[in-house]
Amino acid sequence: MIDALSEIAAIFNRWNRKLVRQPILIFFNLIQPLVWFLLFTQAFSAIGNIPTFQLLTGTTSYITFFTAAVIIQTIASSALNAGIGLVNDFDSGFMDKMRVAPISKSSILFGRLFSSALTTVVQVAIILVIGLALGVNIASGVPGVIVIFILAGLFGIAWSGISLFVALNTKNAETTLSVGLLTTFPLLFLSASVMPLGLLPSWVQQVAKVNPFTYIAEAFQSLIIKGFVWSNIENALIAILIVGALSLGASILLFRRKIS
Amino acid sequence: MMEENIVQVEDLHKTYGKDVIAVDGISFTVKKGEIFGFLGPNGAGKSTTIKILTTLLEKSSGKVTIDGLDIDHDQAKVRRIIGYSSQDVGVDDDLTARENLLLQCSFHHIPKEKAKAKVEELLQTVKLAEAANRRLKTFSGGMRKRLDLASALVSEPKILFLDEPTTGLDPQSRKDVWEYIMKLNRQGMTIFLTTQYMEEADLLAGRLCIVDQGKIVAEGPPNKLKSEVGLDKITLHFKADDLAACDKAKELTTKIPNIQEVGQCRDGLVSENGLTIMTKNGSAMVTQVVRALDSEGINIEQLTLSAPTLDEVFLKLTGKTLNVVERKEAVVYGGRRRRR
Repeated sequence: MIDALSEIAAIFNRWNRKLVRQPILIFFNLIQPLVWFLLFTQAFSAIGNIPTFQLLTGTTSYITFFTAAVIIQTIASSALNAGIGLVNDFDSGFMDKMRVAPISKSSILFGRLFSSALTTVVQVAIILVIGLALGVNIASGVPGVIVIFILAGLFGIAWSGISLFVALNTKNAETTLSVGLLTTFPLLFLSASVMPLGLLPSWVQQVAKVNPFTYIAEAFQSLIIKGFVWSNIENALIAILIVGALSLGASILLFRRKIS
Repeated sequence: MMEENIVQVEDLHKTYGKDVIAVDGISFTVKKGEIFGFLGPNGAGKSTTIKILTTLLEKSSGKVTIDGLDIDHDQAKVRRIIGYSSQDVGVDDDLTARENLLLQCSFHHIPKEKAKAKVEELLQTVKLAEAANRRLKTFSGGMRKRLDLASALVSEPKILFLDEPTTGLDPQSRKDVWEYIMKLNRQGMTIFLTTQYMEEADLLAGRLCIVDQGKIVAEGPPNKLKSEVGLDKITLHFKADDLAACDKAKELTTKIPNIQEVGQCRDGLVSENGLTIMTKNGSAMVTQVVRALDSEGINIEQLTLSAPTLDEVFLKLTGKTLNVVERKEAVVYGGRRRRR
């Protein structure tokens, strides 16, 4: 157990160090969410005037509502990198170095995932600061922000599992990248993150109800607009647990099998 | 005793998919303290074999033990006693040399203080102490390889596996790596290395396997392989293109028993190529050749003797050449000839 923790710590530190050496990567992931944050919310600000929207969300500001979508986009985009990092390790031969060492396979994955989660939290913090500057108010205050960070970190880990799975399967950076990019946008629009559930067409509602993004978005939305709504936070945690169990379980199994 | 052999491989097979046979039933042993070479062209199954031995790849069938440990059942224990340096050079370019080694130490659960001392010592040994705080991005190929070798040694392994340690290196770096490998071996390290360079196998390996298409085609010390499979070459040169002398010499030497092949005298200028005699056990045959010529009063200007190269051994065994290595000719009789 102590061995496993020290292994994870070593690999966690390695990734953090790599990122600090190339801080540009932190901002690279943020470009797309930021463009959305700044432009999408301007173009669609009139949505805030729709009475049903106000009724469903409890706010007249579309940008306040949309902040949750930007956070999710940031998490998803950051999660992509987890897999890409592994692909790079396969290409450089560093993966073989780790595999020959007497360390557990899970340590290799968790060290990567935790570092990726830390990056996600930093990025979400940047988004929130920009949100505040744009006039977004966070109803749940500082405790709420902490909960947002925790949820973002945990969902980051769970969602990274998908990128790890694709990376381990394909060992190809392009595929890993495109699988991530191609799934993020449809999932965003087929969830309650861009529009409240009640304003979505009924077929989209059906899809949104099984889309984890919906539950994460609703938790963020309530923390930002209303305050602590525990049922939403609970739902988000359940969604994270399900996604995480599936994606990480599959990744670990695949990683173990490919080797021994 | 079993302990003499650190690696034992019996009837190893590896098949990719249904019909790509990478390793086709090979058996060999590596003795403690030796440098054992695996020589063969690309695609011969060298990397596949080394990956199986280092637990990176699952074999299809066969039995492999490393220091008495079964590679299937004691994988974790095997990983503790081996060092591995891959062809790819598995180092992290974003980290410094020192950080890379420290990271490797933590993979082997070496306590911090001990790790620090170990890393400084290794940096000195591979002559990277001055570059210790530089990121690997700025390193040359030779420096990266040296660091990679050092990182394979942090755990003080019982056996070091090197997959084509000098492929892609410039000549000077190659020599440095060779020297380092020999030094490690002198200190008692057992080394298993794969290579596609004859020269490297010849210089480093105490014993070697020549592999081709997943099979071992020959095994033994390089010199033994050369003398068993290859032929020595005796070359006679005559004064002033003395064709008559050459013809006579050809006639006489052909009669000597055990001489396998005598070349042509009119093969271009006599003085240019001389008369070549292929034989086993060349140094002993020289006396017989000289005696035969002397008895007929034939003067020779110069006589040279050369041993076969591993490349010729390889050619003979597989019908292919790997990389042509010139024979080194030793002048046995006569002075240095002027080039005409």
